[in-house]
Amino acid sequence: MRVALFLTCVNDTLYPDTGRAVVSLLTRLGVEVDFPMAQTCCGQAHYNTGYRHEAEPLARHFSDVFGGYEAIVTPSGSCGAMVRELYPRMGERARAEGRGDTLAATLAPVVPKTYELTEFLVDVLGVTDVGAYYPRTVTYHPTCHGLRGLGLGERPRRLLRAVRGLELVELPGADECCGFGGTFAVKNADVSAAMGADKVRNAESTGADVLCAADNSCLMHIGGTMTRLRSGLRPVHIAEILASTEEEPAV
Amino acid sequence: MATQEIGLNEALEAEGIRAYETDLAELIVQLGKDRPSHILVPAIHRNRGEIRDIFAREMGEWGRPAPEGLTDTPAELADAARLHLREKFLRAKVGISGANFMVAETGTLVVVESEGNGRMCLTLPETLISVVGIEKIVPTWRDLEVFLQTLPRSSTAERMNPYTSTWTGTTDGDGPSAFHLVLLDNGRTDTLADEVGRQALRCIRCSACLNVCPVYERAGGHAYGSVYPGPIGAILSPQLRGTQSEIDASLPYASSLCGACYEVCPVAIDIPEVLVHLRERVVQGGPVTREGNKVVLKPAKGHAAERAAMRAARWAFSHPGACAPAAARVPHPPAASALPAGPRQGVERLTRPPGRAGGALPRLVAAHTRRKGRCQVSSRERILGRVRRALADVPGDEPSYEEAVGRDYLREHGDRSVEETVDLLAENLADYRAIVHRCTADDLAATLAGMLAARGARTVLVPPGLDPGWLATTDAERVADTAGSTPYELDRVDSVVTACAVAVAETGTIVLDCSPDQGRRRITLVPDHHICVVRVPDQVVSSVPQVMERLDPARPLTWISGPSATSDIELDRVEGVHGPRTLEVILVG
Repeated sequence: MRVALFLTCVNDTLYPDTGRAVVSLLTRLGVEVDFPMAQTCCGQAHYNTGYRHEAEPLARHFSDVFGGYEAIVTPSGSCGAMVRELYPRMGERARAEGRGDTLAATLAPVVPKTYELTEFLVDVLGVTDVGAYYPRTVTYHPTCHGLRGLGLGERPRRLLRAVRGLELVELPGADECCGFGGTFAVKNADVSAAMGADKVRNAESTGADVLCAADNSCLMHIGGTMTRLRSGLRPVHIAEILASTEEEPAV
Repeated sequence: MATQEIGLNEALEAEGIRAYETDLAELIVQLGKDRPSHILVPAIHRNRGEIRDIFAREMGEWGRPAPEGLTDTPAELADAARLHLREKFLRAKVGISGANFMVAETGTLVVVESEGNGRMCLTLPETLISVVGIEKIVPTWRDLEVFLQTLPRSSTAERMNPYTSTWTGTTDGDGPSAFHLVLLDNGRTDTLADEVGRQALRCIRCSACLNVCPVYERAGGHAYGSVYPGPIGAILSPQLRGTQSEIDASLPYASSLCGACYEVCPVAIDIPEVLVHLRERVVQGGPVTREGNKVVLKPAKGHAAERAAMRAARWAFSHPGACAPAAARVPHPPAASALPAGPRQGVERLTRPPGRAGGALPRLVAAHTRRKGRCQVSSRERILGRVRRALADVPGDEPSYEEAVGRDYLREHGDRSVEETVDLLAENLADYRAIVHRCTADDLAATLAGMLAARGARTVLVPPGLDPGWLATTDAERVADTAGSTPYELDRVDSVVTACAVAVAETGTIVLDCSPDQGRRRITLVPDHHICVVRVPDQVVSSVPQVMERLDPARPLTWISGPSATSDIELDRVEGVHGPRTLEVILVG
């Protein structure tokens, strides 16, 4: 199977370790991962801020870069949801604007082939025990687009429960948004920060060492809040936990 | 809500007419010279101490003062509201209502409520004026079987709300003799014309989206600057009012797009989708319909830097060779100053569509005005014309509505014997605080006499067609209800005994259809104690869909599920507001 890693622009710029973790995890599981160098951004920030037309070239570019692969794996629930949920909608809107089926036809091939990492592991590879070792108490925050957009459900928790040494504790109010919301954090900073503070306080109440999620943009917001609140918690992407082994522990 | 949307109270005030809000929360808002902050619980931002102070300070200015020594317990506050409003209900000449639904095929209006203030307005005044948004119309009577189950579950998490009233025009001798229906457009047909945004018109005002919204929870309802707060308000207000004002242009951004609202919406409005669509309208402009006319919006000002950044990011990301691998090679974004300069007002500008002659400034000329002089166009024709134009992209009625709507949902929930259905009715009635008695037909008169005696009722109101044998042994004085009985006379009666049309087991509901053994709608509303006799099992059905089949839409119907109730004060449930505070049900069989 020709598998491509769609790292996302946020990870590429700010969290390259997550990318390395995905590659080492998938390689360990026998998957040959390709990293198309031409990849950039899925266009989510543009689309969700109201710049759909600016997002279209990025979506076309995504399709050009990834169209030839059998599976596209991304360590981001929201970027995965952008491709799976919103690319078809972009095609529909272009059609409604009288621009024909070209955009829809261009984007259609990548939509069903794009998987968020935990989905790829559980649904495509059929594994829940990835042979990981991570001796920490972890609480899991299901990010909104992974939870409600992609419907990841129990997949991330099943993967975490199979990690040796890891104690998974339930996060109160887990389903509630952390307050990031892309440009929402800039446009409505006070509400965004209040939501972030509540998320961190809930995480602290679990006694966990680590707050884990499957999306670094949310973890960026939560991590920033943790720093400002001088919380002892650490934000860690699920890929980094699943990549950690006894031979090469991430802690 | 529709009357608040159009500022009716203020307009009436300007004409020297005083309008009294009758919902407990709306009363708190009105007396406090305040604004509503929630669709279902408009005074949710007030605590019990504040409400006590408002009542003590303001009620005397408007009518009956609050009782001396009023405390802040919700039951006492609700009782103060009951007393304050009762005198107004008994003498008001005109009632104004909204409606939750209107049924096209039968001409029926539906009001779903808890407190009984709606029933007061619908049945006591001589004139009823209902102001209802045109989106409240459902095609068929049968559609109510879905919505009457959906609305209470999503709004108050009840199986059924305490009172539902349906009426079709006026009824001789019962309720208002004059009924005016005002069908409200106010931006709805413009919203309908937008193929993405029109789904907002499906809203049944349950407020489930507010209750789960993390932004609403922290910002509060007033921040939305409209009678429609929360996620639904964020997509409804900028469509009904347009995105010209600063608040309306900012509302589409009042969300992290977390999707919790869409997940709970019982009518599946994809609120995040509409929010993003409206963001696009704000920053990119585009075609919209305003007052029935197609216009093209220019992008809003005040977004120049953001637009430039988005354009730069798009350029950089679609030319990866130019900036990979190092971020240092990211090209300079086009300077904001390269864009056309203009005042930074943050509001959108309207222009005529391309190709149409006209000045630089928009002038919205409604179609009917342009046709003026040729023929007079009624508002009815104008709105219907707008609806037709708004739906130009929608395929016609093939297949027909009845064929197109899936009815494969459950007609009843669970498999029960007749006996079990009756038991379920008793259980659900009691769960909603009705007092349930069971007796045989032979024991009915004695049971009724005993109940009236236990209540200490000296007078009992009797509908004209009630079986005389039922009250043969009571000591209470029987008072006949006549067309001439005034509300004041009804108010002095201790108890009322009626039969019922049918009862619904799954929801614990009794339905009255004003047959002679049930009498006028008001007699089961004004007295404080209602005894209702249900013949089991003949008068019991399992479910709401089953009861819809047995009811005649032409008759005024009252659905009663327990005594009237309110949760308007700190969401603390108080039983007994405007309707009877005690409901007793006798299952005879």
